[in-house]
Amino acid sequence: MKTYTDLEYLKLSKGQKFLYKIARFFCSIPKKILGLFVALWNLIKKGCGIVKDEAADIWSTFVKGDWKTKVSFLIMGFGNLARGQILRGLLFLLFEIVFIGYMVLAGGYWLSMLPSLGKVGPTEEYDWVLDAYYTVYNDNSFKILLYGVLTIFFIIAFIYTWRVNVRQNKLAEQILAKGKKLKSGKDDLRSLVDDQFHKTLMALPLTGILIFTVLPIVFMILVAFTNYDGAHDGYYSNLFGWVGLDNFNTMLNWNVNSGGSVQSYAATFGEVLSWTLMWAFFATFTNYFLGMFVAMAINKKGINMKKLWRTVLVMTIAIPQFISLLYVSKMFAKNGIINGFLMNMGWISEALPFWEDPTWARITVIITNVWIGIPYLMLITTGILMNIPQDLYESARIDGANPWQQYTKITLPYMLFVTGPYLLTSFTGNMNNFNVIYLLTGGAPTNPMASSAAGTVGYTDLLITWLFKITQGAESQYYLASVVGILVFVVVALISLVVYNVLPSIKNEEDFQ
Amino acid sequence: MSERNSTKPMKHHMGLRTSRAIGNTAIYALLIAISIIWLVPFVCIVLQSFRVELKGPVGYVLPKQWGFDNYVALFKTDFPRWYTNTFISALVTAALQTVIVLCMSYTLSRFRFKMRKPLMRFMLILGMFPGMLTMIILYRVLKDLGMTQANAVPGLILVYIASSGMGYYVSKGFFDTIPKSLDEAARVDGATRFQVLKKIILPLSKPIVIYTILTAFMGPWGDYVFAQYISFGTSSGMNVAVGMYRWLNKDQIANSYTMFCAGGVLVAIPATVLFMCLQKYYVEGVTGGAVKG
Amino acid sequence: MKKFVALLMAAMMLFGMVGTAGAASLAGTYDITVWVAENAVELTKTQIEAFNTSNELGIVFNATVEAVSEADAATQMITDVEAGGDLFCFAQDQFARLVQAGALAKLGVKAAETVAAANTPGVVAAATAGDTMYAYPLTADNGYFMYYDKSVIPEEHIDSLEALIADCEAAQKYFAYEMQTSAWYLAGVFFGTGCVSEWTMDEEGKNFVSVKDTFNSPEGLIAAKGIEKLVKSPFHLSSSSGSEFASGAAIVVTGTWDFNNVQGILGDNMGVADLPSFEVDGKEYHLGSFNGCKLMGVKPQVDAVKAAALHQLAQYLTGEQCQLERFEALSWGPANLNAQASEAVQANPGLVALNAQAPYSVPQGQIHGSWWDIAKVIGDDIKAATDEAGLQAALDNYYDKIAALFKLDNNALLFVGAWNGWNNADETDTFYFKDGVLTLDVPESDYMGGRIVNPGKWDTDKGFAQVVTGVELVKDLGADNPDNNIVFAEPGNYTVTVNGSEISIVKN
Repeated sequence: MKTYTDLEYLKLSKGQKFLYKIARFFCSIPKKILGLFVALWNLIKKGCGIVKDEAADIWSTFVKGDWKTKVSFLIMGFGNLARGQILRGLLFLLFEIVFIGYMVLAGGYWLSMLPSLGKVGPTEEYDWVLDAYYTVYNDNSFKILLYGVLTIFFIIAFIYTWRVNVRQNKLAEQILAKGKKLKSGKDDLRSLVDDQFHKTLMALPLTGILIFTVLPIVFMILVAFTNYDGAHDGYYSNLFGWVGLDNFNTMLNWNVNSGGSVQSYAATFGEVLSWTLMWAFFATFTNYFLGMFVAMAINKKGINMKKLWRTVLVMTIAIPQFISLLYVSKMFAKNGIINGFLMNMGWISEALPFWEDPTWARITVIITNVWIGIPYLMLITTGILMNIPQDLYESARIDGANPWQQYTKITLPYMLFVTGPYLLTSFTGNMNNFNVIYLLTGGAPTNPMASSAAGTVGYTDLLITWLFKITQGAESQYYLASVVGILVFVVVALISLVVYNVLPSIKNEEDFQ
Repeated sequence: MSERNSTKPMKHHMGLRTSRAIGNTAIYALLIAISIIWLVPFVCIVLQSFRVELKGPVGYVLPKQWGFDNYVALFKTDFPRWYTNTFISALVTAALQTVIVLCMSYTLSRFRFKMRKPLMRFMLILGMFPGMLTMIILYRVLKDLGMTQANAVPGLILVYIASSGMGYYVSKGFFDTIPKSLDEAARVDGATRFQVLKKIILPLSKPIVIYTILTAFMGPWGDYVFAQYISFGTSSGMNVAVGMYRWLNKDQIANSYTMFCAGGVLVAIPATVLFMCLQKYYVEGVTGGAVKG
Repeated sequence: MKKFVALLMAAMMLFGMVGTAGAASLAGTYDITVWVAENAVELTKTQIEAFNTSNELGIVFNATVEAVSEADAATQMITDVEAGGDLFCFAQDQFARLVQAGALAKLGVKAAETVAAANTPGVVAAATAGDTMYAYPLTADNGYFMYYDKSVIPEEHIDSLEALIADCEAAQKYFAYEMQTSAWYLAGVFFGTGCVSEWTMDEEGKNFVSVKDTFNSPEGLIAAKGIEKLVKSPFHLSSSSGSEFASGAAIVVTGTWDFNNVQGILGDNMGVADLPSFEVDGKEYHLGSFNGCKLMGVKPQVDAVKAAALHQLAQYLTGEQCQLERFEALSWGPANLNAQASEAVQANPGLVALNAQAPYSVPQGQIHGSWWDIAKVIGDDIKAATDEAGLQAALDNYYDKIAALFKLDNNALLFVGAWNGWNNADETDTFYFKDGVLTLDVPESDYMGGRIVNPGKWDTDKGFAQVVTGVELVKDLGADNPDNNIVFAEPGNYTVTVNGSEISIVKN
C-alpha cells in the first residue's frame, strides 16, 4: 500500500483521509502481530537471563558467604538468627518447617498422583449377610487435581522465600561489612506501618485472591484438558483423567451432520458469541445514553422534586433482582398482565410474543435491562454532569448554540472522555451478565438448530448462561464448560486489549490528579 | 416590518419562557411516565403479597380479598432463618469487604512499588475469566473446610470477601482525586503512612466508604447461584434468594407464590431504606470513583 | 451374576444364616438426611417416626428431612454425591443420569424381588437399569390428562383438538399444553401416532448401546402436524401449571398433583377428561401421553450396615401403607398394586381421567439423559417451520442429534440398520460400536441390511467392500448396492467387529 507523505496526506479530501487511516490500520496488523511475537521472544530471553543471573548470584553468595550464610542455604533463617534478627529468622524457619511437614505428610502424595489423577476408582461390594450393596471409595481425582495445584503453588512460594532468605544473607553480610547495624525486629514491625505499609495492606486481600480466585481459575483451565463430567466425577462414579486437547478438538471441529442443518459446536459457539456481543453493545449503550438523558432531565433547571424522581428510580437497585426480574419476566409472559392489559384495551387481538419469538425476546431483554440499568447510570452521570464547568455552557449559549449542539459539543465529549473506562468495564460486565438473562428468559426461546448434546441453547443465551447450562445439563460436561470458559476469556481479553489501546483515558491514570 | 421589529425582543423573551415552560412540562410528563414504569412491578409485588383468595400466580393485579395471611405464613416456614442468614452475611460482608477494598484501593492509588502495574494488570485479566465455573471448585474447597450446608453462612462470607480485593476500581478512582500534596505535607511532618491514612485520608473518604459498604451490603441479598451451591439442599444454611426461589418450583408455585411476593417485600425493605438514606453519599462516591474506573 | 447371587442366597438361607444374623446386627441409631418434595416433608417425618417405633430390627433413624424438588434432585446429587441426601426422591427421567453418576445404590437381591412383586411392572422397569434394580417406586401417577373450564368449553368438544383450539381462540382464552419446553408432554403426541423411541442399555446399566427411534417416519410427520396445529395457535400456552386457570387459561394439560389447585381456582367449573384427538388427512389420532413415575433412591454408602438399614427404611417408605398415606394427603397415585386396588384410589376423579388416558399412554423406559433436551426443542422447530418439508426437517434434526449422542459418549462408529430397505425409516435401529465391537440382532425382513456411518452422518463410512471375515454371511448385491451397505443373508444374532478398515462378521 502506498504511503503518503505529510504533504500529500493533507491534500486529500476528508473522506479519503478517513479511508487512508483505516487502510493504514489494517496494513499495520501483520506488523503488529509480528511485533507481538518479537515481544514474546524478548520476554522469554529476558526470563532466561533473569534465571541465569539469579543462579549466578545464588552461587556467588554461597561461595563468598561466611558459614552462617552457608548454613542458611539448608536451614532457612539461620543467618538471620545468628546475626540477631530473631523475628525474621524465626519466620523463615517456621515457614521451612511447615513446608517440609506439609510435603512429607500430604503434598508429596498429591504431587505424585497429579500425572495420573488417581489409579483406583470406586468399587461396589456386596454383603451376603445383610443383602446390601456398599461402596468402597478410593482415589479422588478432584482432590488430587485441586491439592496438586495447591502444592505446586506452595512449592513456588517456598522457592521464592528461600531465594529471599539467601538474598537477605548476602545483604546482611554487605551491611555488616560496611560497619552498619542490621534492622531489629522492632524496626521491621515499624516499617510494616510505614515504608512497607503497602505490603501490610495488601497481604490479606492478595491471599484471598490467590486462594479464592487464582487457584480456582487454574483448576478450571486444567479441567479443560480432562474428561471431568457427571459420569466421571473423580470419586463417586469414575475417576477422570487427562485427555490432552480432545475437548478443544470436540469444541472446534465436531460436526453433528455435515449435510443436515444441525450446527456444529463451533457454529453454535459463534452464534451465541455474536448475540453476546450484540447484547453487550446494546445493553451498554442504551443504558448509557438513556441514563444520561434521564439524569439531564432530572438535573435540568426548573425541575422540582429532584430527590423524589431519583428515589423512585433507585428503588430498582435496592430490590434484589431475583425478585424484580422474576416478576418482570412473568409480566411479559404470553398470558401476563402486559398482554392482558393490551388485549383488554382492545389494542391487540392476540398476545405479543415477548418471550416466544427470537427477535422479540432479544429486544425485550434489552429493554428490561434498560429498566435495571438506567438508575445506576442516572446516579453515575448525575455527579459527572454537575462537574462540567458551567461557563462552558454559558459561552456556548452566547455563541448561539442550541441545546442539541451544546450536548454534542460539550456534554457528550466530556462524558465519553471521563467515563471511557467505565464503558469498557460495563461492556465486559454485560458480556458476563448472568443474572438478567437467567432470571428473565433462562435463554428461551430455544434454538432448534444448535447442537444440543450439551443442553439446549436458546436465542437469548449468553456464553455465560450457556456455560452454566452445560454444567447443569444431562451429562454435566464440566470439561466442555471449561473450554467455553477459556474461549470467553479469550474473547473478552481481545476486546479489552483493543479498547485499551484506543481509549486514552484508561492508559493515563495520572491525568486526573 | 417595523412592527415586527419592534416587538421582536418582547416575543423573543416570551418565546424563551414559553418554550422553557413547554420543555419543562414535557420533562415532567416524561418523568411521571418513567416513574410509573419503574414503580409498576413493585406496586404489583406489594399488591400480590396481600392477596388472600388464591396463593398461586393470577392474571389480575388487584386482590379480591386483602389480608396479612401471606406474611403470617412466612413465619411458619424457614423464612426467618433465611432472613437472619442473609442479614448476618450481608452485615459481616459489608464490614470486612469495605476494609479489604479500601486497603487495596488505597495502596494502589497512593503507593508506587515495583509490582504495582503488573499486579493491576494481572487482576484485570483475572476479572475476565467467567466466575461461573470456579464456583464448583470453591464449593469443594469450602466443603473440605466444613463451611457448607448447615454452616453455609461463614462459607458464603468467606467467598464474598476473599476476592473482593479485585473490586478496587471505583474506590481507587476516588482516592486518586484526593490531592497527593496532603499526604506529602503530613509525611514531611513525620507521620507514618498508617497515620496518614487514619488522620488525613479516611476523614475525606466518607462518600466512598459509604458507597463501598452499601454495595457490599447489597450483594448477599440477591446472590442465588453460589449460595445455592453452598447451602446444598440444607434449608438451615440457605439465604433468602435460594430459599424463596424454591417456592417458584412447578410443584410448589400454586401454594406459595403470594408468599414469595410477601417475602420479596420484606427482603427489599432494608436495602431500600438504606439506599434512600444514603443516596447522597452513593452519588458522591460513585462519581468520585467510577469516572476513573 | 444375579442368578448366581440368588442361588447363593438360597443356599445360605438353608443354613438359617441370613435372617438371624442380618436382623441382629442392624440395631442402632443412624443420622440420615432425607430429600423429599416440599409438600411431603411433614408427612415423611411422621412416616419415619412410625418406622422407628414399628420396626422389629431395633433401627432408629435420626432423620433430617429437607425439601428438595424431585426435578432438581439429580442435578444436586450429581454435583456432590457425598453431600446429597441418604434417601432422595426424584422424577423418573433423571434415573439414567443418577446411575451413571454413581449416585444410586443397588437394591439387595431379596429386596429387589419383594419390591418388584409388589409394584406395577412399568414402574419396576423404570427403576431397573440393565438387569439391576436401582430405586424404589414411589408413585405411578406421573401421567397427564386434560383439565378444562366448563364455562368456556362445551362438553361435546372435549374429544376434538381442533374444536378445543377454536373454542379457546373464540373466547380469547389460553390452551396450556407444554409443547415447547418439555419433551415429556411433546413426545406423547408421537407415541399417539405409533412412533417409538426405545433405548437399550448394556448389562451394567451404565451405557446405552442402541436406540430404535422412529420420530422421523411418516407417522412422526402426522404427529408433527398435530403439534403444529397447537403451537401455531396464538392462544397456545407452553405451560403445564394448573395455576394458569387463574391467568386466562381455559384448558391445562397436567397431572393429578394439580387437582386440588385447579379445583381451588375453578370450583364447580372444573372438568377433567382424557386428551382429545386430532385429525390429519381425514383420520383421527388420539393424543398419546408419556407415563412416568417418581422413585426413591438410596445413596451408596461406605458402611454395609447403614446401607442395609437405609434400604429397610426405603422399603418401608415406599410400601403399601406409606403410598396410601401419600395418596390421601397429597393425592399422589400409588405404584403399589394393593394400594392401587383400594376403593379410595379407584374413585379419585383425577385418576379416573388418567385411566381413561391409559390406553394411549406409553410407559417411560430408560432413556438417555440428553434425550429430554434434544426432544423438547422439536416443538420450537415445528413452530418455526413453514411447510411440510420444514416439519420433516425438524424431525430429521432431532434424529441427527440422537445419533450424535453415541459419538459423544464413545467416539465410536454407528451401525444404522434399515431392516426394510433404506428409505423405510420406521424399521431403523441405530447401534454403536463399543471399542469397535457390536452385537446385532437382525430381524426377519425383506431387506436385512444397514451401513456403518460416522455419527450424525448418513454416508457410508465403510461397509460391504471392507468385510474380510464372514463374507459368506452377507449378500453380494453387486451394482444394486451403490451405498456399500452390508446386507445379511439371513436373520439372526451377529457380532460385527471393526478393526481399522477391516470388518469381520461372526454369527452367534
